[in-house]
Amino acid sequence: MDLTAALRAFGSGRPHALVVAPPGATAARLAVEAELHFRGWPAAASPAEADLLLVCGAEAPLAPYVERVWLSMGVPRARVQVASAAEAAEALTRAQRQLARAPVRSPEAEDRAGLDSHGGHGGRESDGGHGGHEGGEEDVAGLPLADRADDRDGLELDRLHVPLGPILADWPAGLVVHAELQGDVIQTAEVEVLAGEASEPPFWNEPWLRSEQGDTVLRGEAERRRAAAYLDSLGRLLAVAGWEDAALGARRLRDAALAGAPAAELLGSAERFARRVGRSRTLRWSTDSLGVVDRDSAQAAGVAGAAGDVTARWQRWLTETVAALGLLDDGTPLCTEDLEGPRGPLGVAEPPSAALLSLLPGLLEGAELGGARLIVASVDPDLDEVAWSRARKEALV
Amino acid sequence: MSSSAPLWSVLVLPAVLVAAACVLVAVESALAGGSALAPAQEAARLLVQQRRATVAADSLLRQAGIVTLPVAAVLAALVLPLGFQSVSDLGVGVVWFNALEVLAWAAVWMVGWGSNSAFGLVGAYRYVAQGLCYELPHMFALITAALAAETLRVGGIVDAQAGLWLVVWMPVAFLLYLGSALAMSFWGPFDHPVSSDGAGGAAAELSGADRLLFLAGRRLLLVVSAAFSVPLFLGGGHGPLLPPWLWTLVKTAAVLALVVSARRRLPTIRAERLAELAWVVLIPLAIVQALVVALVVLGR
Repeated sequence: MDLTAALRAFGSGRPHALVVAPPGATAARLAVEAELHFRGWPAAASPAEADLLLVCGAEAPLAPYVERVWLSMGVPRARVQVASAAEAAEALTRAQRQLARAPVRSPEAEDRAGLDSHGGHGGRESDGGHGGHEGGEEDVAGLPLADRADDRDGLELDRLHVPLGPILADWPAGLVVHAELQGDVIQTAEVEVLAGEASEPPFWNEPWLRSEQGDTVLRGEAERRRAAAYLDSLGRLLAVAGWEDAALGARRLRDAALAGAPAAELLGSAERFARRVGRSRTLRWSTDSLGVVDRDSAQAAGVAGAAGDVTARWQRWLTETVAALGLLDDGTPLCTEDLEGPRGPLGVAEPPSAALLSLLPGLLEGAELGGARLIVASVDPDLDEVAWSRARKEALV
Repeated sequence: MSSSAPLWSVLVLPAVLVAAACVLVAVESALAGGSALAPAQEAARLLVQQRRATVAADSLLRQAGIVTLPVAAVLAALVLPLGFQSVSDLGVGVVWFNALEVLAWAAVWMVGWGSNSAFGLVGAYRYVAQGLCYELPHMFALITAALAAETLRVGGIVDAQAGLWLVVWMPVAFLLYLGSALAMSFWGPFDHPVSSDGAGGAAAELSGADRLLFLAGRRLLLVVSAAFSVPLFLGGGHGPLLPPWLWTLVKTAAVLALVVSARRRLPTIRAERLAELAWVVLIPLAIVQALVVALVVLGR
């Protein structure tokens, strides 16, 4: 066995995985994340870091972006589709086997890696479709140079068109924020959703939607799902805030809740977790006065829970998680009139996440990139809801 | 009492530093619930992985930045004493150390800029902004220790602590030094320049051997700058019973343990928030500490 092969055999025991979960694939994503955690495989922050590309559910709405991310990954690399939650463990094993067999040198990848690396995860946008470019004579390697505009202090600075998303770690996959950046400050933000149409109801709202259909759903079961939804959002926010240890804690609790762990055990660890995170002055300091939504506009949009700054939103998740876990043994059936899902009222024309998305551009403009990531994570729109409501409207027409 | 080691120690130094960095990452990985072998696997993985470049990247600048980071860390360590012996006990040791540390500014910025990627660029400028926050408190902390010992020679500073460790009468300078050492190695709560919210920031486009070298350089910088707090504030090799070299190792391990626990307890401190804290609180604190020490030195 030569040295490269030996290094490869040893190194492929712990590959870095980039997980792509297009709208509608939440259940598969959760299974993949739990499996990654079980195996101790880290999640990659960028395509450059990744060896495995794990696409959950149907990649259709994100197909061109998935392709670009794939081409921008260095070899050896492997790509696997995880169609459903049940397949997660088998798919990861398959991915590792593929990685072990993948070619170490690929001329195609060397030519194209750079060209496409910007597509999926937010480099310079090269299509020039946003106007303002001075024509072709200033292009460098096929990429237009940045145009200039006044910034908020009246200084003429480069303005970069940078799409945030649709594939980015700890980001709602399918969400694209077309941002104009000056330095790292977002001057304008436009929100686009690449959602497609989901065939399954949104994972986080499923108990309430079943109850709406006439099934008997126990309160305790719905609250378990609600707590897991908030813990999932918390895990994402804490990861974006750079507190890996706490993010891991949130995700462990989430997986335990979904796996049906007993109420007393969950409640105890959730209370400890909430105390630990809630007490962190550094986290509050980092998220205070960011992305403030005033009470009236939150209420008008139908998402009263989104009121306040980023700190208020994660603190609300913490208290609601503990409150929901306190109701796990509630055996009464859900009342069908008042369908309050994790993100807001269901059973109205527009899903709550549509309202959350409509709040985003206003919150992002003027924020610096790190702040913007925290704002998106604290609003955490569930694009499954958007995909599902599109599918339902289609069905009605 | 302090002296320069024989010439061959130049060759041993990098190996010792790399070994220390390896132990650090292994312990860290084990504490985080992973396997202690994980960092070795990571290194093997990166050695095999293809190095990739972005379109219109400034490869020369990028490569220079990647190589500068570990080289600067090792060169800075030339004045780092083990016990009472360093590779070279320069008369201006403290200045040498600081000058080489500052190369990290250039290194990280060159890597981020040279990648020609928006996230790389943002990460690079985050590091420069962070530098504007930590560098002044850092330099004041270094100056305060040198002032108390009345020498810029690191060996001289260690000798001056034969009776009383400097940390005892300048705790603020010690804490500022340690915090700024973490910020300089963009590690733990100060990892904003390479944090995942910017897809890896300055390191976003690095893969394969490039990534390995950059990340290893960062660990070396962390080990060296944390270890330097031992001769500066914690008495270097001074201590009862144990031989001086062992005292140095024990104290360095204690400082690194403190550093690892800080990472698990704290989220990332974003550069924009750090700037406010640094200029309103930390820099005035550092100046007051230096002033108090200066008055004590004048009065004795």
